[in-house]
Amino acid sequence: MVKKKNPLKRVLIYLLLLGLTILTLTPLLWMVSSSLKLDSEVFSIPIKWIPENPQWSNYVKIWEKIPLLTFTFNTIKLTVIITIIQVVTSSFAAYGFAKCRFKGRNVLFLLYVATMAIPWQVYMLPQYSIMNMFHLVDSHIGYILMQSFTAFGVFLMRQAFISIPDELLEAARIDGLSEYGIYAKIALPLSKASITTLVIFTFVTIWNDYMGPMIYLNTESKKTLQLGVKMFVGQYATEYGLVMAVSVLALIPVLIIFLAGQKQFVQGVASSGIKG
Amino acid sequence: MKRKSNKTSRGMTLTFRQNLIGYSFILPNLIGFLIFIFIPVIFSLILSFSRWDGFNPMEFAGLQNFIDIFHDEVFVGAIWKTAYFSFFTVILSMAASLGLALLLNQKIKARGFFRCALFFPYVASIVAVSVVFNAMLQPDYGPVNEFLKFIGVSNPPGWLASTTWVIPGLIIVNVWRNMGYFMIIYLAGLQNIDQSLYEAAEIDGAKGWALFSRITWPLLSPSTFFVVMMLVINSFKVFDLVYLMTQGGPGNASTMLSQYIYNKAFISWDYGKASAAAMILFIIVGLLTAFQFQAEKKLVNY
Amino acid sequence: MRKKTVKSIALGLTAVTLAATVLSGCGSSKDSAESGKNGGEEEVTLTFPVWDLATNGYLKNIVDGFQKEHPNIKINMVDTAGSEYMNKLTIMLNGGTDCDIVYVKDPDTTASYMKKGQLEDLTSYIEKDGIDTSKYISYDSFNLEGKQAALPFKTDYYVLFYNKDIFDDAGVQYPSNDMTWTEWEEMCSKLTSGEGANKIYGGFLHTWQACVQNWAIQDGKNTILGPDYTFMKPYYEMALRMQDAGTIMDYSTLKTGNIAYASVFQQGTVATVPMGTWLVQQMIAKKAAGETDVNWGIATIPHPDGVEAGSTVGSTTPMAINANSKYKEEAWEFIKYACGEKGSSYLISAGGFPSYQDDTTIGEICKADGMPEGAAEALQTTSIVLDRPININSAEVNQMLGEEHSLIMIKEKSIDDGLKEMGERAKEIENS
Repeated sequence: MVKKKNPLKRVLIYLLLLGLTILTLTPLLWMVSSSLKLDSEVFSIPIKWIPENPQWSNYVKIWEKIPLLTFTFNTIKLTVIITIIQVVTSSFAAYGFAKCRFKGRNVLFLLYVATMAIPWQVYMLPQYSIMNMFHLVDSHIGYILMQSFTAFGVFLMRQAFISIPDELLEAARIDGLSEYGIYAKIALPLSKASITTLVIFTFVTIWNDYMGPMIYLNTESKKTLQLGVKMFVGQYATEYGLVMAVSVLALIPVLIIFLAGQKQFVQGVASSGIKG
Repeated sequence: MKRKSNKTSRGMTLTFRQNLIGYSFILPNLIGFLIFIFIPVIFSLILSFSRWDGFNPMEFAGLQNFIDIFHDEVFVGAIWKTAYFSFFTVILSMAASLGLALLLNQKIKARGFFRCALFFPYVASIVAVSVVFNAMLQPDYGPVNEFLKFIGVSNPPGWLASTTWVIPGLIIVNVWRNMGYFMIIYLAGLQNIDQSLYEAAEIDGAKGWALFSRITWPLLSPSTFFVVMMLVINSFKVFDLVYLMTQGGPGNASTMLSQYIYNKAFISWDYGKASAAAMILFIIVGLLTAFQFQAEKKLVNY
Repeated sequence: MRKKTVKSIALGLTAVTLAATVLSGCGSSKDSAESGKNGGEEEVTLTFPVWDLATNGYLKNIVDGFQKEHPNIKINMVDTAGSEYMNKLTIMLNGGTDCDIVYVKDPDTTASYMKKGQLEDLTSYIEKDGIDTSKYISYDSFNLEGKQAALPFKTDYYVLFYNKDIFDDAGVQYPSNDMTWTEWEEMCSKLTSGEGANKIYGGFLHTWQACVQNWAIQDGKNTILGPDYTFMKPYYEMALRMQDAGTIMDYSTLKTGNIAYASVFQQGTVATVPMGTWLVQQMIAKKAAGETDVNWGIATIPHPDGVEAGSTVGSTTPMAINANSKYKEEAWEFIKYACGEKGSSYLISAGGFPSYQDDTTIGEICKADGMPEGAAEALQTTSIVLDRPININSAEVNQMLGEEHSLIMIKEKSIDDGLKEMGERAKEIENS
């Protein structure tokens, strides 16, 4: 069955996409343009999209003024570790909730879902006290523990596992696979799309997290990129040019990961075409 | 509980084994979750019934915190503003992300580039985004209003400097931020739809809208369920964006529940009222979520 | 069976929670018994939370200087962004984290820390070391119910910054050190010229409520705690009048455009800016770096009719000791150093304004490179009123005033309605 292609329709689609993309990217353009300006020029009236004399030195200054390399390294380290723990433990737990029967399952799951609705600001203080009891404040381990066990991950993965037909698992059990084997060899490969979604979500959340590191990390050598961005926002003056320069740099790694991941992601989804 | 009938003496050990396996799966996550999230949450529940300055011993206050906040105009206003903000954020983000996913699910050139470009807002640091949008939405010379004037709007809105337009302004920014991520979820859903269904329907003469309403939309319902659920939870909890862009102003025109909770906890240092407000937020979102789970059972096609 | 399990889980959790609460509560309050007695030789590390260290470099000099004199005491500075500093400090104090020196960015919070019992009473330390408290600006403001909660470190106050070139071009005389607000308003209209992107504004009122309300409390008769705010009316009328006349930039333009007073002044688009002395330090630095070529000067802040010239409004940032610190004696040594003569001299050499002042202090400040001519006269004060009284309600009232201020300035509320609402909300805060 060959579909007929209407050339006019295709042109329209491209134009629409192009328009939307430009609209979406305008703020990015503003960021890049501002990152090449002096602070006093950033909010000049009317807006100058192309800086008169580009301050490329902004991109040098940010490395000199703050330990950006350390911050980048810390951010990568924390993001990668938390993403791995998050994906492994929450998919493991999600399999339990979705496909195992045990006492208290529904109640425990309800507890998980219920906490998703509570803003972090509410339990930030008791959480801090607990961390402090364990002497985990101002340590990467403390921050990792705090961020790794979100209800969202479990919820997302459970949604994925629940849609895997029970018959498929039953067949595997009859073939002699243990529950752990089923989890690893059947459930996980069938849920690549959800895993990717979780990876992207966790990665971006941790990469851009500001409040968490702000509260938990004190020592300069343990701080992250987002704290670095804020170092240019002073009490009485903000160095907007430098804020934008760091923000632009912080964008690049995440975009690269996404660009690499999205193909993987689409293929992963396509090969798991069991449902529907 | 399908296996209840198996409860013989052998069945007991089977149940025990099942429990063991089940708990072995959830335990690694559960331990961390209980210690670092659940206990603090329970603690804040207790707080909502007490008076506490964050340091000295707590005093039991009964329902007084709840009574107080419901007498506070700012709090009651915050509930409505949150509802208003969330309603439009959910509808518009869903529409935008579904639309984009449909466009980008077609076989077109540079698909990766477009996906990446549209995903960018979700990735960008919120600190930078808030600065950028403050400038974009500037009433007198910001690009958005320049454009509106260009297409003939003589009196464009004051956006973040107006009590009427501040929430619509925040909705726009939030939708802009959200759409890329939920587009990805919808794309995943679309990929899961069996292409042969479309081919069969086309043979029957179905086109455009009919294909969408009879195949795409019903088969996307698991994705839609997830998208709506996440959007509801996230928009009711919205904090960073508002905090960085308006701090709840002008006046308290954009003071939503999270901002109210934050102000009570960190400006008034009144954890009791902050927790009470949080409980109300929790109940609202909890009810909405429960309602959605009910709807899911009836509507979602697996 | 299942129900029982649930019950026991719930009970267990409650028990753990309560245990955690009790433990964390005790941990922070019972440590004090072992404090104070630390024989001189043992090495001690004090935690000292600070904000925006990159722009407040003098803190590092003070710490270095102190450590040289006290080789057995190490100071560990914890740097946080200014906007979240107070949250972080409060969480550190509440959460029981080690924190010995309490440097209070929003000085009014001192009152609530003191009320919670988190700050050590400094009276005995001050008496023991014979500190001359008369040399400190607003020393008494930190005496709360007979207890000295903190020692003033740094006092900034409002002065009038002006751009000499704009005055020369307009043929207007430079502002004098004895000028009323009415005279300032007239002066601004003479200095305003041009249109669009080339417009020069005669005046500038930043978006903070302080930049309108401070002039109303300059006489020391009223404070921002109200609860009757009608005394602010003339200054709101002035601000709106100037906004309508276009002699100052519009509030909503400033607010939504994130426009910083420093950049407009450095670009040379405003002639006069009433602003805190912290801008002095910044102007000197920017000029030295060649990022601005504004030919600037300073004059004493304008005053209300019938109030003596040199009456100004300011803010004092104090240092205190955590009541739960294990090393109170050592923390006191540091505070004594930082807030005393030596600490002040480091502050002065960075262009800062110490609270510890004697007859030579202003002269020393004016010796700094890049200080404009006539600064010594302009910086003289007859009285400095604290912009936010050291009171437990100040922070909450201030937040409320900010909200109402923005509504008046964008004209969503009339001045009378806004001031009335301020009064009602201030009473509510007072009673809660």
